[in-house]
Amino acid sequence: MLRQILIVSALNFKSLKSRFWQSMVIVVGLGATIGVLLSMMSLTEGMQKSYAHAGDPGRAIVVSKGADYESQSTITRAMAPLIIDAPGIAKDKDGKPMADRGLNMGLPILRANGTKGYTTMRGFGSYGAALRPEFQLVKGRMFEPGKREMIVGVSAQTLFQNMQIGDSVILPDGAWPIVGVYTTGDILDGQVIGDTETMLTALRRATYNTILVRLASQESFDAFKKALTTNPALSVTVERHSDWYAKFSSQSTRFLVLMAYVVGIIMAIGALFGCLNTMYAAVSTRAREIATLRALGYGAFPVSVSVILEAVTLAAIGALAGAAIAWLLNDGKSSTWGWNIFTLTVSPSLIGFGIFWAVGVALLGGLFPSIRAARRPVVEALRAT
Amino acid sequence: MKYLPLVWAAIMRKPTRAILTFLSVMVAFTLFGLTIGMNATFDKMQEQARADRIWSWARFATGNSTLPVALARQIEALPGVSGVGTAAALGGYHADPKNRAFAWMMDDKVRTVMTDWPITAQQWDLLKNNRQGLIISKIAAERWKLKPGDSFTMIAPRTKKADGSTSWVFHILSVADDISYFTDGFMMGNYDYLDKARPLAQQGKAGQFFIQSGNPDRAAEVAQKIDATFANSAVPLQSTTEKAALDVAANTGIDIAAADREIALAGMFMVLFLTANSIAQAVRERFAEFATLKTVGFTDTGVILLVFAEAALPCLIGAVLGVGLAALVSSLIPKLMSGNGIPIPTVSAMVVFWAMLAAALVALVSSALPALRLKQMDIATALSGRT
Repeated sequence: MLRQILIVSALNFKSLKSRFWQSMVIVVGLGATIGVLLSMMSLTEGMQKSYAHAGDPGRAIVVSKGADYESQSTITRAMAPLIIDAPGIAKDKDGKPMADRGLNMGLPILRANGTKGYTTMRGFGSYGAALRPEFQLVKGRMFEPGKREMIVGVSAQTLFQNMQIGDSVILPDGAWPIVGVYTTGDILDGQVIGDTETMLTALRRATYNTILVRLASQESFDAFKKALTTNPALSVTVERHSDWYAKFSSQSTRFLVLMAYVVGIIMAIGALFGCLNTMYAAVSTRAREIATLRALGYGAFPVSVSVILEAVTLAAIGALAGAAIAWLLNDGKSSTWGWNIFTLTVSPSLIGFGIFWAVGVALLGGLFPSIRAARRPVVEALRAT
Repeated sequence: MKYLPLVWAAIMRKPTRAILTFLSVMVAFTLFGLTIGMNATFDKMQEQARADRIWSWARFATGNSTLPVALARQIEALPGVSGVGTAAALGGYHADPKNRAFAWMMDDKVRTVMTDWPITAQQWDLLKNNRQGLIISKIAAERWKLKPGDSFTMIAPRTKKADGSTSWVFHILSVADDISYFTDGFMMGNYDYLDKARPLAQQGKAGQFFIQSGNPDRAAEVAQKIDATFANSAVPLQSTTEKAALDVAANTGIDIAAADREIALAGMFMVLFLTANSIAQAVRERFAEFATLKTVGFTDTGVILLVFAEAALPCLIGAVLGVGLAALVSSLIPKLMSGNGIPIPTVSAMVVFWAMLAAALVALVSSALPALRLKQMDIATALSGRT
């Protein structure tokens, strides 16, 4: 049986050359489908990767109840000590809880193309950098606490104007010089950071936005959360930092993922009809050849399998070509979505997904023609011209 | 026209092939309609966005209400400004935190600035006289299943009333037409309701000013002047023209319109290949028949036109039906997935025109090679079947 399948399939592939343009319909159809699908998904993949990296399950974030974004949250000065003294927070070598009073708000910027926009401006407290092992200074120096100084992310430098060391960020009470450049490898790279307390004074604000803590261990999250949510003096939401970003990521990519699937499905349906067309034509041009094989004693099943195999192979070639185009056009490019910055990514798993998608279409597109091929009466097919 | 039956017979010679090709073309044009229709929506948004108006926010906003309302009167006094409306956002949910809801709370000045909004004088009067009233758009009415006389409760966890409650009750006054740049529809309430219900310390603050400059050529300049005037005040402003504020490509950082065109193009490329193959095959199979046609007196042009018609008919019908399907899908979007902020594609006459043009081009290109073969054919050889 297996031998028969191999022989019939080999025969098929040998005759592909005479049906070259016909077969290209499948290759081009699925190439276009997968190229478009993966190009769209390179955006969501990049966003998800960038958010996933930003969250660490060993950290927890505290925001006020009802806040969907850090900037919507308010943590008063009275609330902060209650949060920081809660159980479950890791201690530094001096025995102090590793908790950071954070600030987060929009900062008006000029994009590289000259249009007005916003990015996120963060305040780090005394543990802002220590809580984030991924935080690294790549140029210049850290801002000094108490001083009106800023550091900027590596991507902010390419995306926005006036972000070099020596430039200034304008806050309500004057210009804050940029003294350093940092990277975290995630969404923070498109942002700007200063000292929380100094920024609050400049902005005439009295409240923090968030408290970020290092958990004593990943398991101490529940105890920490329970201590805060059962405290009647607090009205806060506590989330693992990774969950916070995961929720964020799914919210902001939901629309894009949906669009990618809608477009991918529509194109796949179009390609499916093309695939059916090609395979029906292939089966009918090879009717006598198939009939001859059948007359020689080859079974109906190997003939069917060979038809599907041909469709799947052509589809996989198309998918690979489409994936290659998507990869060349997108992978590694820097992009923004709203306030956030990330790198477009066509990962091997995404390419695998694309091939899977194309093969699925080809299986459907090869199925009915293969049934027709197997069912055609041998005598009739041999007689046909 | 009299050759239509001939063309039809030619197409239906291989019904499976004809139907599959047609379906593929139709699906590709559905995608074409959706993507190019999405661009038509963006164009409409930009067209309706006014160059003479300025939108102004606090440069450093904390929460939804940072702007002192009193600033509006100072801005009004600036040269080049003819009116300032005040708005604040009230965001929350209805019944379940998943059902996000959002209302613009407007003062009565907004009507003098947003004169092009499809809200009648009568509706503005109703809103002015009903502090808890709400004017909603058709999309919003459909989404929340509301009609005039109904009440609507929004829980706004971040906007507490003086009594500590976060529940805001509205009465639906009237339903208005939609505004293209509020893609999810809109709900407009009375600013006084929001303002007077809040704790005293938070009163008198809003989120955004709508400013009328009266001169589209000078609006950007006026916006800069406004920002400069308040640069050193307690609340510096960030102002931009309405057109810039609603520029999708600038706001997302991605040229969605270009991406849409590329997707449509990929679909067309797929269809071009398919159609070209089908028509080439059809001509090859019936080569002798075309020779017969030429023998009985059809000119080269006549035969070529027949082939073109054979390619064009399914393309054009596919384009019309595909774009029609796109229009149908678009009309279902508000029902199927409201609350996502998805811009709804507009299948305008322009979109249909581009679709027909694309279909004609696909037919033209795909029938070019077969037509050339027919022109150069040797009738005697073709008739003998030795091609």
